Amino acid sequence: MTQAFNMADLSTALPEVVLSLVAMVILMLDFIVPKGRRDWLGYLSVLGVLLTLMVLCRQWGATQSAFSGQYLIDPFALFFKILFLASGGLIILMSIGYLRGEGADSGEFYALILFATLGMMLMASAVDLLILYIGLETMSICIYVLAGFLKRERRSNEAALKYLLMGGFSSAIILYGIVMLYGLTGATGLKEIASTLTADTLSNPALILAMVMLAAGFGFKIAAVPFHMYIPDVYEGAPTPITALLAAASEIAGLVILLRVFLVAIPGLQDRWALLFYVLSLLTMTVGNVVAIAQSNIKRMLAYSSIAHIGYLLIGVVAGRELGISATLLYTVVYALMTLGAFAMVILLCVGEVKGERIDDFAGLAQRSPMAAAAMLILLLSLAGVPPTAGFVGKLYLFGAAIERGYILLALIAVVNSAISLFYYMKVAVAMYMRDLPPAGLALSPSRPLRVVLFVTVVGTLAIGIYPGPFLDLAKSSIAGLW
Amino acid sequence: MTVIQVVFFLVAAFTTAAAFLVVLAKNIVHCAIALVFTFFGVAALYVLLDAEFLAAVQVLLYVGGITILLLFAIMLTSRISARGVRVMNEQVGMSAVVVFAIFALLAIASLKGFALVGSPPPASYATASLGRLLLTTYVLPFEAVSILLLAAMVGAIILARREREKD
Repeated sequence: MTQAFNMADLSTALPEVVLSLVAMVILMLDFIVPKGRRDWLGYLSVLGVLLTLMVLCRQWGATQSAFSGQYLIDPFALFFKILFLASGGLIILMSIGYLRGEGADSGEFYALILFATLGMMLMASAVDLLILYIGLETMSICIYVLAGFLKRERRSNEAALKYLLMGGFSSAIILYGIVMLYGLTGATGLKEIASTLTADTLSNPALILAMVMLAAGFGFKIAAVPFHMYIPDVYEGAPTPITALLAAASEIAGLVILLRVFLVAIPGLQDRWALLFYVLSLLTMTVGNVVAIAQSNIKRMLAYSSIAHIGYLLIGVVAGRELGISATLLYTVVYALMTLGAFAMVILLCVGEVKGERIDDFAGLAQRSPMAAAAMLILLLSLAGVPPTAGFVGKLYLFGAAIERGYILLALIAVVNSAISLFYYMKVAVAMYMRDLPPAGLALSPSRPLRVVLFVTVVGTLAIGIYPGPFLDLAKSSIAGLW
Repeated sequence: MTVIQVVFFLVAAFTTAAAFLVVLAKNIVHCAIALVFTFFGVAALYVLLDAEFLAAVQVLLYVGGITILLLFAIMLTSRISARGVRVMNEQVGMSAVVVFAIFALLAIASLKGFALVGSPPPASYATASLGRLLLTTYVLPFEAVSILLLAAMVGAIILARREREKD
């Protein structure tokens, strides 16, 4: 049972080791590099992320269990680790100009983003409840601090406090579920839990309660309705790159552990949890889309829109099997790309006194900068799910999976929801193209890293939309052997 | 009823009573003191479960460290320790209903569920073997926690540091 730790184990965690070393180096360099030149720490962090990606890619196609079976290198983990690292890198790139604008440039900001990414990587590979929980907390604690990073802003303080309270609360619920699972099975490994549960223990009320607790706790982390109350305030108040981190990375990380736990540890209860997620999915997309219509602040609108997208993602979880789960995987990439792009646009519009947060700030953007307006239009079309963008392809596979598995009503409601969403996304497009530029509009001067982020996200959105084949194949091959 | 059971019920009643005091006491300093007794009660429960090391850690960290920290925070926050601070709001009735509903649900599920399955096999809780496990089987969580603590420490410093004037 007791197995000494060895070099083979360590080499499977090499990417994580590299990333944590990079983060610590950034922390130390923060003392040396003078204020005002800390942009370089941002670029260095991105280099560190690229280095980690290179190390990570050596694990391509490998499946290996390490650390007494608590840590698993498999295509599923690799898929999400690459996604998290790429998102983390893009978020650091968009932070560089943003932090300078806010007069808050510091290495700690980048280091905390790296630590949060490390937590997500741990979550992606965790096949033991203990390490899964530690990864989750590492990510959450970093984001609590990052949400309140702009200490002079009251809204940032409020965001941090709300996120901390709700995050702590949801972690406690997840822990309660974990404890009940452990109490019932005497195991923390996901595979061991599944093998301990026999047909007659599956109807055990304590097990059902553990399942409900885990679903509720993860529901908080992925911002599913009715666990979404804190999301709009947190998204609005947090520094915009951190809002992007929350929406594009942290929620997907929550979805990853949800998939792992429910598919690997309690697949015997699939009938029950599929029903649970059916209701959550329905509520999440409907409430998200309907409430988004009334928003005039774009960060709040994107917050509700991200809630709606979590609802779409849950459709794949409900549908299950290869078809549904691979559609979910594909859509996480699509969702991350377009969300990152949309928040990068909000940062782009942040010029001078204008925060770029009101939908009115987008008025006349087509005259001010045709390129920026076109980029935003593509992102909006993708968010709404209009061809030929990635959003359309992603939704096609998700809804297709639902229809294939007989969830016709769910697919129908999802289509209606997409139509509703078109309305509020087009409100921004109308402002950009039909309304006149307000006289106070300053010229846009995007920093070079921000241009890179916009370029990558827009091109990615179009690429998946026009030629989805390889991405879908990747998603399909990534779930092989997951359960 | 065995002696152990009698002791258990006494300790459990004591812990629960102290926990109620934590949320119901009018003065926040009294709440903090009641929390000390709650932590002590939990430590006693650990002893009853043969987890002596955990009990010692509970006393050292929670009773010792965390409560002192809490008291410091209360003393350094102006006006929070004054009398007449409201500890309830108008939602108290509704939350009480929800709390008791959840309690009933948990109690029923636990009584029915755990009686069926039986308890997990007893493990060795000797401190030496715990230490060995931490650095062999559980080395990855152990190291991950150290990263977590580092990030938390950095974060705490960032939030607590006095903001320098804009230059």
